[in-house]
Amino acid sequence: MKLTFLIACCVLFLGFPVAGFAQDTPEEAQPADSITTPIPAPPGNVTAWDTENDHGHSVSLSWEPSPDDGTGLGNVIGYIVFRSDSPDGPFVDRGVQPAGASGHTDVGSKEEASQDYMADYVDYYYKVRAITADSLVFAESVMVGPVQSYGQWFNTGRIPVLVFVLCFMAITIFFIQKAKSGANLFVRRLAGIEAVDEAIGRATEMGKPILYVLGLGTAADIATIASYTILGRVAKKIAEYQTGLIVPCYDPITMTVAQETVKTAYMDAGRPDAYNEDMVYFVTQSQFAYVAAVNGTMLRERPATNIYMGKFYAESLILAETGALAGSIQIAGTDEIAQIPFFVVACDYTLIGEELYAASAYLGREPLLLGSLKAQDYAKAAVIILAILGVIAMNVGLDGFKDLFYISN
Amino acid sequence: MKRSSIIIMLVVLAMFVISWLAKASSMAGVEDHNIWHGFLITFSAFLTLAILSFLYKDNPFYKFAEHLFVGVSAAYWMSMGFWTTIVGNLIPRISNSLSAFFEVPPIADEWALLLLPDSVTFFIPVILGIMLLLRLSRNMGWISAWPLAFIVGSTAGFNLVRYLRSDFIEQVSSTFVPLLVDWQGTGHFFSHLNLNASGQFVTMAGNWVIFLGVMCGLIYFFFSKEHKGIFGFGSRVGIWILMVTFGASFGYTVMGRISLLVGRLTFLFGDWLGLIS
Amino acid sequence: MFTPAPLLALSSSTIGVSISLGLVGLGMVWMLIRSLRARDVDRRIVFLFIFISVSAPILFPITFSETPTPVVKKLFDKVESLPADSKVLISFDFDPAMAPEVQPMADAFTRHCMAKNHKVIFMSLWATGQSLLNQTMRAVLVTEFPEKRDGIDYVELGYKAGNEGVLNVIVSNFRKMFPTDVNSIPLDSIEIFDKIKSCRDLDLIISIGGGKPGIKEWVLFVGDPTKTPIGAGVAAVVAPQLYPYYPKQLLGLLGGVKGAAEYESELVRHYPQFEEVDKPGLRMMGPQTFAHVVILAFIVLGNISFFVSRRRASR
Repeated sequence: MKLTFLIACCVLFLGFPVAGFAQDTPEEAQPADSITTPIPAPPGNVTAWDTENDHGHSVSLSWEPSPDDGTGLGNVIGYIVFRSDSPDGPFVDRGVQPAGASGHTDVGSKEEASQDYMADYVDYYYKVRAITADSLVFAESVMVGPVQSYGQWFNTGRIPVLVFVLCFMAITIFFIQKAKSGANLFVRRLAGIEAVDEAIGRATEMGKPILYVLGLGTAADIATIASYTILGRVAKKIAEYQTGLIVPCYDPITMTVAQETVKTAYMDAGRPDAYNEDMVYFVTQSQFAYVAAVNGTMLRERPATNIYMGKFYAESLILAETGALAGSIQIAGTDEIAQIPFFVVACDYTLIGEELYAASAYLGREPLLLGSLKAQDYAKAAVIILAILGVIAMNVGLDGFKDLFYISN
Repeated sequence: MKRSSIIIMLVVLAMFVISWLAKASSMAGVEDHNIWHGFLITFSAFLTLAILSFLYKDNPFYKFAEHLFVGVSAAYWMSMGFWTTIVGNLIPRISNSLSAFFEVPPIADEWALLLLPDSVTFFIPVILGIMLLLRLSRNMGWISAWPLAFIVGSTAGFNLVRYLRSDFIEQVSSTFVPLLVDWQGTGHFFSHLNLNASGQFVTMAGNWVIFLGVMCGLIYFFFSKEHKGIFGFGSRVGIWILMVTFGASFGYTVMGRISLLVGRLTFLFGDWLGLIS
Repeated sequence: MFTPAPLLALSSSTIGVSISLGLVGLGMVWMLIRSLRARDVDRRIVFLFIFISVSAPILFPITFSETPTPVVKKLFDKVESLPADSKVLISFDFDPAMAPEVQPMADAFTRHCMAKNHKVIFMSLWATGQSLLNQTMRAVLVTEFPEKRDGIDYVELGYKAGNEGVLNVIVSNFRKMFPTDVNSIPLDSIEIFDKIKSCRDLDLIISIGGGKPGIKEWVLFVGDPTKTPIGAGVAAVVAPQLYPYYPKQLLGLLGGVKGAAEYESELVRHYPQFEEVDKPGLRMMGPQTFAHVVILAFIVLGNISFFVSRRRASR
């Protein structure tokens, strides 16, 4: 009896722990390899704030990486950011960052119907979890919040742009007003424009017409608008010298404006009777068909001078080459950077880029054009000064100067 | 028409037919619709040669090819414009029945202007577009100035910040380059004397070129002062820098044009004549 | 490929190039003599020389090795250094007129991204870009990477009208401009777009083209505001205008056929399995090089003729 009782007690004492092991549920027990994975330290000093300079629906977070990220235990492989709209949860996954990261931006959708909708002016609570290779082993930071997202009316990241816009606007308005008040604003001589008068004289002596090509731009292009001013000046001189003028046009609207310009020029020269509407005519709105027509005119009429002022594309070299073949003096001006090399090579004088706009201001003397030109000149002077200061700052180690020009978004 | 012209045209026609038949027979058994594909390849080759014949002199074949290209490209872009902009963007937003007619799915209200649904809001660009087309009318052409002003003004405002940021401020700050280096000895200074490398001397020389090039280029385009004295010297350096740039641009363009010629000749020798694999 | 009679134990390319070099060389000597006599040369003779110098290396292929320049290498290294599953967008912003120059780049980029197991999003801002996009997909994706799956490894969004207006929208919301892909599958159902809301979520954007809208618009509307890295493959005509954006605003730039050839050679260097695939960029550099040499010779001869005639006139 005693022996039986003793055996039963032994079985109970030995069996109970065994049964205890067997009864451990898989959910509670840690997998065999995680038994050796220590729990890392959580990320510290988590802060959350509304993302700046945006339209809302976004919260930014930063934290100190876990001491076990890269050092210490070295078992942290990343961070997961969790969000809830209540301190009691439930928390949802809002993004993953790799090891070493110390920040995250939680961006939601502004569409209410979207699954990712993140409302503004709603309290949100965040936790950052440092994770390891074992999904069951992790460490969470303390919860931070409440924090609300909202949009900003003013993007402070673009202050440099605002400063430049205001300064440039102020200078432009100042110089336009100055030009309107009659002040004599100096614009230096341009070789290409000086040559126009010479070329008109040569054409008169030879008894041959002048061909003026406005380019392929529309009436709204700045280069075409600048070309009108030059055309007006050329037409006035031609009217005075009684030379011929040929203006083939690519765009119908451009043709209409060009006709008015030439007519006005002839009237200003006191020769309205000499004006002929057929001087300015529409050809076609097809690029190479237009070029073929103008080439044919050059080879038939043999103008003494060809003037190309406006917007040109791939046809520029074809025009200039044919003109050179016909033996004409050629003066060109365009703001299309890709075509300037062709004009420089094939023409006698070329107005490069901004010189075309300066030429129209120089010839027309309109307050709006002159004022804008002076403002641009002062802006260039400012750029030169800023560049010199910037270079000095870079070389003496004052990196803060460059940061003044940083635009965040 | 001159007799020689007729003979030339007949010869070209005969060569076209022979080429077509030869091409079609070479593709027989390899491709379906070999006769049609043979015609297309032969016609492409004909058009290529017709355009290239302009290099000899202007001729009716060149004129035909050019007019065909102009007409087809105008029709293609008009068709694309209709199907992608009108049918793709406009109709699905303003009318469900028209969407069903053109078999495009309606697009949900996304751009609703305050309380107005898309189907009302999107009539505004339709009206502006019609006003723009009125420029074809002699009497009512002045109306087109209004939508044109809207386009010019809104494009300028739309792009102002972007262009100022990317093409002005970013470029200005990119000019802040170090012109001097930390001296670590002559050997280190003159190491990696190779345009592709980042040795100290090469980097410094490059930075000086950038800085001086920008300064002198800006001086050249300065119109408020006569280019005399040291200013004139800077202006001359500027125009030299510009000419080097234009030369590089010209060289790049020549390379581009040769590449296109290589592409065309590859088509002629490969796809048409079968001389290369 | 044309093969000569086996009289000489030389490759056909060597024979062909030698013959054409001989012809061109003799022609150059003749032109030099005419230049020294200050005589004009008919422009059609010049065209003939260009034709021979381009045709011969096409008919008798000759290729040169290429070393990538820093501006190309940077872009290659970026694609190479991105981890697998990175999101790369490739925009086909060109038409058939530019295709001989830039299609090789498009093929090379696609091949590289697929080899690196990046997730690629294809789109186009040009109506004509759609068919060229399909050409690359057929030639590279379907042929060389048949295991890649639509929606999981790549997705085609297709063409959208609107030029920079499209960019202005996708910079903050992809789905507003592209509610579905080209097969009308909603973006929300596409695995690649699980974590992509806008261009800010992309790891790299590559724009291939040379017109408007193109790389400049990508930099202005997407690259600078979002600081997403942008790379470019452009036609040679446009390349000089984009150098001011490098390296701050543009990660790297492939200019013309030369850029394409450099990228292809670097790709083969890193991935020898691509040795046997067609490399149109490298193939075109043969005729390109010869044509350039002939043009350089013309420039020299032209200048000789100019100075000789000027000296004669002054006497």
